[in-house]
Amino acid sequence: MGASVALDCDAELMLRVKDGDGASFSLLLDKYRASVSHFLYRMVQDQSVSEELAQEVFLRVYKSRATYEATAKFTTWLYRIATHLALNWLRDEKNERAQERLDQGTEDAPAREVPDRAPSVEQQMVRAVKVEEVRRAVAALPNKQRAAVLMHKYEEMEYSQIAKVLSCSESAVKSLLFRAYETLRVRLAHMA
Amino acid sequence: MDCPIRTQENTDWLLEYSTGRLDRERAALMAQHVETCQECAHFVEGQQRVWNALSQWEVDPVAAGFDRRLYRAIEAQPVSWKDRLFRPLQPLWRPVVPLAAACLLIVVGVVLHAPQATVTTAPSQAAVEKNEAEQVERTLDDMQMLRELEMTPKQGENTSKSL
Repeated sequence: MGASVALDCDAELMLRVKDGDGASFSLLLDKYRASVSHFLYRMVQDQSVSEELAQEVFLRVYKSRATYEATAKFTTWLYRIATHLALNWLRDEKNERAQERLDQGTEDAPAREVPDRAPSVEQQMVRAVKVEEVRRAVAALPNKQRAAVLMHKYEEMEYSQIAKVLSCSESAVKSLLFRAYETLRVRLAHMA
Repeated sequence: MDCPIRTQENTDWLLEYSTGRLDRERAALMAQHVETCQECAHFVEGQQRVWNALSQWEVDPVAAGFDRRLYRAIEAQPVSWKDRLFRPLQPLWRPVVPLAAACLLIVVGVVLHAPQATVTTAPSQAAVEKNEAEQVERTLDDMQMLRELEMTPKQGENTSKSL
């Protein structure tokens, strides 16, 4: 990409944050608070952890303001921070769970808590079951595949942008997505 | 077009076609192919099912105190000495910078175009003239000295002859 890229308006806002404009930071926070938090929730599938990570993302954005250079799209930079934090957390969590399993001998680790979505009617119950299946299917994907699917599906990012966020080639992203969706097609084949 | 599944080329077209994000031109090509290729038709059907299932996964809204917590964390960050020194001055110097730049331009303009500029050159011209006169004087002195030097050996010759 490089410096030839026309500045998107978010990058301009971030440059204003760099100049000490707090109002521009508030605008960026308003714009991306929900999408970053949702992306992180779908990545780590834990409400309190995703909120902590989202806080950390925006804190890092603010702390990096002095060194910010508008060499790429603002969202690429933002999601690179978010993905990096999520992947690190998942790696540490995996290590921790492996350690727990060793400590507990042959016992299985306790299932991760699922947000309480107590349904009041049958339809809502059916829906909750479906969502739970989707959640589990996504959670079972390898971390990088999961990140690619979430950015592709929910953030509507193009392959080139996903590649920049994940620091890999566009063809690698195509391959990641193709394999991820292949797995999901098998796991969710029964869903109408 | 070649079958994306069999050739493993343009598989991204197939994915994007299934989700309705492929551009019109390519989508038309893909639609033609899917009509005749059972394998791709099956793929599209499965992918659409996945897409719809993923769409059902909604997430809770962000907690109400998110911003408050974030700003508290930002406030708790240690401030560098530069920030501590210059931040209080920022509201003062920011509007002053363009004003100061404009003033500087005016001063430079005045200095370059003021009539004093010609007055200041006058003494320097006089100095040049003075230097020229001194140079002529020095040259004349040198010539005089040379002439005297030419005269000196002749006088020596006369004395040796007389001895």
